[in-house]
Amino acid sequence: MRDEPYRWIEAIQDRRDYIEDELRLGSPVVGVTYDEGMMLLTLSKGQRKIFEVHDRIALSAIGHPADIERLRMLVTDTASVQGFQNATEDINLHRLTNYTLAPAFKQAFESIVGEAYIIKMLLAELGSTSGKNQFTGINFDGIVRTDPSFAVIGGTETIETGMQKYLTATKTDADRDLTTAFQLALETWAIGKELSSREPEEAESEDTQLETKQIYQIIDTAREEGEIEAGVLEASQQGTSKFRLLTSQEIEEALK
Amino acid sequence: MHYNGDFLNLSGAGHQELAPHGGINHKGDFLDLLRYAKYPLKIELPPETARHGADVEIAHSTTVVAVLYRDGVMIAGDRRATAGTSVIYDRAEKVLQIDRHSALAISGSPAIAYEIARILEHSFQYFRRSQLQELSLEGKLRMLSRLIRENLSMALQGIGGVIPIFALYDLNADDDGNGGKIFFYDALGAHFENVDFATTGSGSIWIRGVLRYLSRFGETALHEMDQRQAAIAILRLLDIASEYDAATSGYNAKVKIFPTLKTVTRTGVNTVSDDDLAAWYAEAQPNVEE
Repeated sequence: MRDEPYRWIEAIQDRRDYIEDELRLGSPVVGVTYDEGMMLLTLSKGQRKIFEVHDRIALSAIGHPADIERLRMLVTDTASVQGFQNATEDINLHRLTNYTLAPAFKQAFESIVGEAYIIKMLLAELGSTSGKNQFTGINFDGIVRTDPSFAVIGGTETIETGMQKYLTATKTDADRDLTTAFQLALETWAIGKELSSREPEEAESEDTQLETKQIYQIIDTAREEGEIEAGVLEASQQGTSKFRLLTSQEIEEALK
Repeated sequence: MHYNGDFLNLSGAGHQELAPHGGINHKGDFLDLLRYAKYPLKIELPPETARHGADVEIAHSTTVVAVLYRDGVMIAGDRRATAGTSVIYDRAEKVLQIDRHSALAISGSPAIAYEIARILEHSFQYFRRSQLQELSLEGKLRMLSRLIRENLSMALQGIGGVIPIFALYDLNADDDGNGGKIFFYDALGAHFENVDFATTGSGSIWIRGVLRYLSRFGETALHEMDQRQAAIAILRLLDIASEYDAATSGYNAKVKIFPTLKTVTRTGVNTVSDDDLAAWYAEAQPNVEE
């Protein structure tokens, strides 16, 4: 097939459509910073979706659970071995993304006879004293996007754009506390959820302005089937590992 | 493509992908992962360097001690590192934090001991990260057993023996109970739980009897002591050990080098500060002029 360029491009396009279709209904993930670190938030149904990769790196993804697991283990194993062979300070998200994850994503996507990874990944790295916080999104085709202050992944680009709009419009200052960050992330998640439930054509044309009341209705409905999951990388954590999941108690408190 | 910037692996030996295509069996075992990445876990020695079995004496020039006190475990060690009759270093850290609720005190070959502590720390983290749960207390003890056993050939050759004391806090203990636990290992990796105290290293023979005395007949039993009382008892014990054992250092007043004391309690592992040590040392040795 490779000696017929047109058919190869067509096959890639088909694959892109297929993967995007599979991802469309995935529960979005929101990443925001707060005064003591960074947070990843989503709503999950049974399966955990926010993970600790290394001392200062957390991961979340949407897609097929088996693909998420496989790629999560790839990056966790790589970071663990390198952190042991060198020093944990030598682990950084830039290298893990560019030398380990992105090539694996791209290779799977373009090997049109092999299986595709149905996945979009969002990673967060808590900056050391000299470095900066960084969110990194990796698309199923291996395209990487980074941002120091916020990031979202959703089923389609339209969903993501809608969520980003909400985030930038409501963005309180970067010094927000944990509770404010939690609420902002949750509201942004609800926007994404709403957009993913609309038909693709509607999602693009319609206004994404929602009343706060509507937003919390969406959240309440979603909580009947799933659970809010939030993980933080917190600079004030004792010891070298900075990751922890918020407890259900903390989540209930923040929802009040 | 798996490029980790490791010059030693440029030949290609460690260049396999780790998980997705390699398909290694996933049970959260960090040693398996290191073997897969071609990390040399053992130092291979030519057989002619092996000493005769009967001559073997595991060198463990130091004194480390752990006692169960009211809040958990206090674990401590002197700071001297020796080679033969020479003092090599007087600021060695022999008590190492492994995770939030465990610490290891080492006696024996420092190179191997530090490596064991490091593998242990990374193993616990790797298990938690890959399996999404903490390794159980028993799992942690077994891991240390495996590492000591893996090191057996070095121990038998008399150059790399390690005998540690492992102190943990069991968070599953009742709220009002004491979750502190002390484990002692032999050179083959068997572990034994010590209820009240444990001590190892060349200086330990001088203080084991004292520990027994304190635990059994002391004015305040060891397990009823508060942090200050336990620290004073330990400072005195280490002082006795340094009196009789050349490989154990005492408190060096000239440069203020104190023994290392850590507490392992419900709130985690904490290092006793130099200020506290200075105050308690003055109480422990009322007749010593600073």
